[in-house]
Amino acid sequence: MNLRRVSVLLGKELFQGPKSFMFVMTIVAPVVISLVISLAFGTLFDHRPTLGIVDEGNSRLVSMLDELPSVVGKAYATETELKDAVAKGAIDSGLVLAEDFDSSVLAGERVEIPIYVWGESLAQDRLVITAAVANQVRELAGQEAPVEIKSITLGDEESIPWSDRMLPFVVLMAVVIAGLGLSGTSLLSEKERRTVDALVITPATIGEVFVAKGLLGIILGTFMGVVILVLNQALGSQPGLLVMLLFLGSIMAAEIGLLAGSLADDITAFFASMKIMGILLYAPVVIYMFPGIPQWIGHIFPTYYIVEPIIQISQRGGGWPEIAMNTFILLGLNILLVVLIAVAVSRKRQYAV
Amino acid sequence: MNWRPIGALVSKDFTLFFRNRFFAVITVLSLVMFPVIYFVMPSSVDETLEIGLYAPVLPPAIQQIQEAEDEGLRLDVVESEEALKKGVTEGRYVAGLALPADMTEKLVLGEAPEIEVYFASHTPEDFRDIIDIVITEMAYLQIGQPLDIDWQPEILGPDMAGSQIPQRDRLRPLFAVFILMTETFGLAGLLSEEVERRTAWALLVTPMTVKELFTAKGIVGVVLAFSQALLILAVVGGMGEQPLIMVIALLLGAVLVTGVAFLIASLGKDFLSVTAWGMPALIILSIPAFAILTPGEVSSWIKAIPSYYLTDTVYRVSNLGIGWSEVWHNLLILAGCNLVIVAAGILTLRRKFQ
Repeated sequence: MNLRRVSVLLGKELFQGPKSFMFVMTIVAPVVISLVISLAFGTLFDHRPTLGIVDEGNSRLVSMLDELPSVVGKAYATETELKDAVAKGAIDSGLVLAEDFDSSVLAGERVEIPIYVWGESLAQDRLVITAAVANQVRELAGQEAPVEIKSITLGDEESIPWSDRMLPFVVLMAVVIAGLGLSGTSLLSEKERRTVDALVITPATIGEVFVAKGLLGIILGTFMGVVILVLNQALGSQPGLLVMLLFLGSIMAAEIGLLAGSLADDITAFFASMKIMGILLYAPVVIYMFPGIPQWIGHIFPTYYIVEPIIQISQRGGGWPEIAMNTFILLGLNILLVVLIAVAVSRKRQYAV
Repeated sequence: MNWRPIGALVSKDFTLFFRNRFFAVITVLSLVMFPVIYFVMPSSVDETLEIGLYAPVLPPAIQQIQEAEDEGLRLDVVESEEALKKGVTEGRYVAGLALPADMTEKLVLGEAPEIEVYFASHTPEDFRDIIDIVITEMAYLQIGQPLDIDWQPEILGPDMAGSQIPQRDRLRPLFAVFILMTETFGLAGLLSEEVERRTAWALLVTPMTVKELFTAKGIVGVVLAFSQALLILAVVGGMGEQPLIMVIALLLGAVLVTGVAFLIASLGKDFLSVTAWGMPALIILSIPAFAILTPGEVSSWIKAIPSYYLTDTVYRVSNLGIGWSEVWHNLLILAGCNLVIVAAGILTLRRKFQ
């Protein structure tokens, strides 16, 4: 193995790479998906009802409702805007507070509250909004709650927001697209254009070609994994360990990509196999997303040993003792894949000779 | 127009399509995965807060609240505090209330009784607040302390309380767009292959005309896209209401994606570049279908995307049961968009052939 030749080949990959679709996808897709997920899952899976308010006076009720964690409040300037938002489903309900609302409540007078309700709003959301507004109006009027509520928590399972549950998926996707996709397609495009045959009649060996292509996927996979974690503010207290895990994960992805690339006849066959293999690669993150699925099933899939330590560090505040076992398994799997690639390379070398 | 060479070309393209492992795999995967996703998702919307209640002495107001089951709250009385805890832990109740035996007496005396509320540990904080608010209002109801508010509710749009559209049914337009677009990749791939291997020129030196070539490719695209979209929608129950409207909408959708495939093929050189150009097209055409999942989040600019008129028709016909009078303009606009896109696709692709 000549490191100079590997670095020349790698330099060529890095120089030519940005012109290819896969290279652009590697950088753009995880970032876009990460942003979409943080936007969509911030609202799509937020079960809290939304309440729009037009405040014609300067009611204290608005700030009181804003402080409630159970209802999402939005201010509107006019009743027309409010009705439009309700009709479109942007908010569940909208109410209009008259100019003298607070003084009427404090004086104990009967107050009228026009409330617009979106037809598709859930019954429980309508109930919560009505109860929340009533509750806050009582507080505004100085009424004291007739009961004391004591909350008792049962069990020790923690609540994980959907945006957090999706994070391992995006991280794994960044690593897989770069490691697997980039290394595999780069190898295949050389095969399809027959430039790999030209390369192996130079002093460069087929092994060095594989290493250069693998390194490209590993570097970009690790880099994109870090970018996604930074974007999601999930580097945690052990960034060094996380980078190491992303590096090992990218090695696994690049190895799978090189293996698939060496076995596939053309790019369409490669993508077809990736479609099917994708189900296996992403299975651990799907299992993690839905705690109802028995979590031991995840252990069957190789990418579990990338995802689990990352979750452990970025979401559970774990350290080396918690991830050591799975990291060694990941390392073992990487070595196993190196052996499989070596077999593939030796077959390729025979073919080349 | 000579239909014999067209028939031969159509038959050859179908064979090539299913011989291409990538397209064959994604076609089969889509046909299997979408129904699986649909049938795995819940078939109804649970819009009621189900709360467990243990009360040694049942306060009179509870009966009144129990009758309000269809208004978003259901109270399930259990026989012991243990059963209450079990119900919460097993997820049958979002919360469990344990009322003290002397609650009514204390309320009458003006004292504040303590109510124990059990939550599962994974219940989010904001949800606990919701339950606290609902319980406090129930207590006000119990002591008969009325709130001097005159609610003047007005429901905007059809009132779906009690008959909400399940999320899986909202996904139907997305399935339709995805399955149609999958075939766009296929047709664009076939076309770019004809260009890449220069077989298109070989065809044009035979008696086949450019018009016949495009007719054949168009038939392949429309048949592939339409038949699969129709099959998927039939499986996921999208053809139950107004089947003729749905058939026409899907047919127009198939023509739309065929036009898009012509455009993509004119831009792409090979399989990878077809995929590269196809992805933005897929994302743009899917936006209106995603907007149905998040109503109110997207502005009216999505009406500039032609697939809006397909997804809106599929959504409203299959879920709200609307008829011709409300969708004819959607179909008309979609047909107009098709004319423009197919013409643009043919023109650009024709230039490539020349």
